[in-house]
Amino acid sequence: MSFEMWAEKYRPKTLDDMVNQKEIVERLKSFVKAKNVPHCIFAGPPGTGKTTAALCLARDLYGENYRDYIMELNASDERGIDVVRETVKTFARVKAIGEIPFKIMILDEADNMTADAQQALRRTMERYTETCRFILCANYSGKIIEPIQSRCAPFRFTHLPRDEHDKYLQYIAKREGLTLLEDGLDAIFEVCGGDLRRAINTLQAAASLGKPIDSKVVYSIAGRANPADVQKMIETAMKGNFIEARKQLREMIQKYGVAGSDIIRQIHTEIFRLEIPELWKIKLAEIVGEIDYRLVEGSDEEIQLSALLARLVEAAYEIKNARMV
Amino acid sequence: MYQPWTVKHKPKSLKEVVGNKEAIQKLVEWVKSWNWGPPPKRAAFIYGPPGVGKTVTVEALANDFNMELIEKNASDYRTEENVKRFAGLASQYGSLFGKKRIILFDELDGLTGTADKGGVKAVTEIVKVAQCPIVLIANNAYDPRFSFLRNYCLLIEFKKPAVNEVLSRLKAICLKEDIQAEESALSFIARRSEGDIRSAVIDLQALSQGKKKLTYDDVAWLGYRDRQENIFTVLKMIMYGKTCDGAKRAASMADVDADMLFEWIYENVPNHFKDPHDLARAMDALSLADVYRGRIRRSQDWSFTRYVVDLMTAGVAMARAGSKPSGWTPFHFPARVQMLSRSKEERSLQLEIGHKIKRKCHISAIRASKEIIPYLQIIFKNNPKMAAGIAKWLDLTPEMIEYLAENKERAEEIKALIGG
Repeated sequence: MSFEMWAEKYRPKTLDDMVNQKEIVERLKSFVKAKNVPHCIFAGPPGTGKTTAALCLARDLYGENYRDYIMELNASDERGIDVVRETVKTFARVKAIGEIPFKIMILDEADNMTADAQQALRRTMERYTETCRFILCANYSGKIIEPIQSRCAPFRFTHLPRDEHDKYLQYIAKREGLTLLEDGLDAIFEVCGGDLRRAINTLQAAASLGKPIDSKVVYSIAGRANPADVQKMIETAMKGNFIEARKQLREMIQKYGVAGSDIIRQIHTEIFRLEIPELWKIKLAEIVGEIDYRLVEGSDEEIQLSALLARLVEAAYEIKNARMV
Repeated sequence: MYQPWTVKHKPKSLKEVVGNKEAIQKLVEWVKSWNWGPPPKRAAFIYGPPGVGKTVTVEALANDFNMELIEKNASDYRTEENVKRFAGLASQYGSLFGKKRIILFDELDGLTGTADKGGVKAVTEIVKVAQCPIVLIANNAYDPRFSFLRNYCLLIEFKKPAVNEVLSRLKAICLKEDIQAEESALSFIARRSEGDIRSAVIDLQALSQGKKKLTYDDVAWLGYRDRQENIFTVLKMIMYGKTCDGAKRAASMADVDADMLFEWIYENVPNHFKDPHDLARAMDALSLADVYRGRIRRSQDWSFTRYVVDLMTAGVAMARAGSKPSGWTPFHFPARVQMLSRSKEERSLQLEIGHKIKRKCHISAIRASKEIIPYLQIIFKNNPKMAAGIAKWLDLTPEMIEYLAENKERAEEIKALIGG
């Protein structure tokens, strides 16, 4: 067993190594071949390979010394306008030396940039196109202002399909000498839903217990990593306790950093498992869909999801009344 | 000695004035044009909201151009008679000491009603024939009383500076006063001031008096204390409003900004809408208001703000059908906002660990501190060998190891493994 973070150790190094997002990878390879890259937006849920794809693209394009030609900035940590004005500009305006005349700026979690920083970025992108190309990674492209979106080639990353997910985790398990059981894999997929970074972290944490990895081990890890789970939150709401359910939601988002898109996906799964009339399941599914759309449009995760919780409270109340009649 | 910072840190030069760069440029060009004799407009009329630096600009201008500034404010020119006494001053450009002269009539909208009868007229007469630059200052140049005067003036509008411009001014002052202030604390003050730099500087001084450090907590609580009374009234008007107009009017009375008002409403809705249908409707109105906030962010079209306000006030008010007001229910400070200022030490350690992770893992420190740390805690509690490897790889400090292991003995064990 090796003792570093596996999510990093097993990060693909080149575009050829990337197991998923086949169509995206093909298009990126064509950029490498043409030795030209447009400004790009990589949008998609966490753990689907956005940053990895950007890094692989850079390595394939510039070779082993790719670090000299790229800059990685994380918008969550440095989201203000000053960063755009100073760091980004300084990097962008200096010409690259070598065969390829531009450098690449990777702006990770770009949907966390403030609006005025985005405005400043838009001008920087325009002015220094010759010397610098931007790759913006974001969970929701809806949070990127339209003028930037229109200057970028969009790429939509999706969750890893189940078989790719399994193959990758089994590969790591083999290399690290772990016993990863079939139901353990099921459990990881259920808990992490195709977020590969979370899946690998879960696998590593499970491995640290030094036991064969089955569903019990995985659930105990997941339970400790996200103590307020979605199922419990739905139960709380269906019992009519909105305030408590909102508190659990807030904890999940603020304390454990669970992405809104992941929460809503789990809610969607859970709804069909509830013991409520069939007609209500589809009614609720429609409400979930509406809220999901509002999230994609780039609104506040907690506000949107708690509006959904209020609808669950309402539904439970109506179902109860109907039964009493 | 006590000295107001608004005086102590007053900009000495135009370079130091916050914001309004274009307006200042316009003013400078106009003053320069006097070198070739009186220009067509012999007065510049600066107007704009309070505290955005109108007077300060003129003072800094006089300083930069080494001119003698003769400043008159409302108390000096109550009547026509009083104003006329200044006429002589305006009749020549150079003063006795060879310095060029500039005359400032400040607080022009202080001339009110019958007491100041003829005041504006007298100012107009002086402007018409002035031989030196005259600057007029008022909040609103379009007041009908100034309609005749306006014809003789170059109008220059001063706008509220952006929050980050106010912020950088506050930072500069903290540097000079040797105060270590958290960015979040300063940006809170800046936001609250809504572009009124004077009030922001006054707030800063009041809140950091006698301190070497200024934290977000110092600011958030003190800042809201005097506003609570108001916010409760506003919330009551919104949540128990019977008409759309009433609820919307309440929003305009609030002295917190729209985003903060949103948080107050969002926090308190569940306690005041007990009927599940009402609650769902009210939350849906907030959800839609928030959708519009997203649209504003994306399109940068702030005119959509009206829909945000409609939905979060009238939308919430109209959601009430079944719930009756059930006695006295208190309003709470928004927990979401409060959470940000709580357990700061822990958060800062988490963030430091996040930064260590970031250096290795291509993930933001903030995200790492939330998403990765829980897994590390499991590993550090269960597998000292793996923990030691990771601690070494991430270059964690002993304090960080103790935090992740949540247990002193286990932490010692891990540290020993790293050493050996």
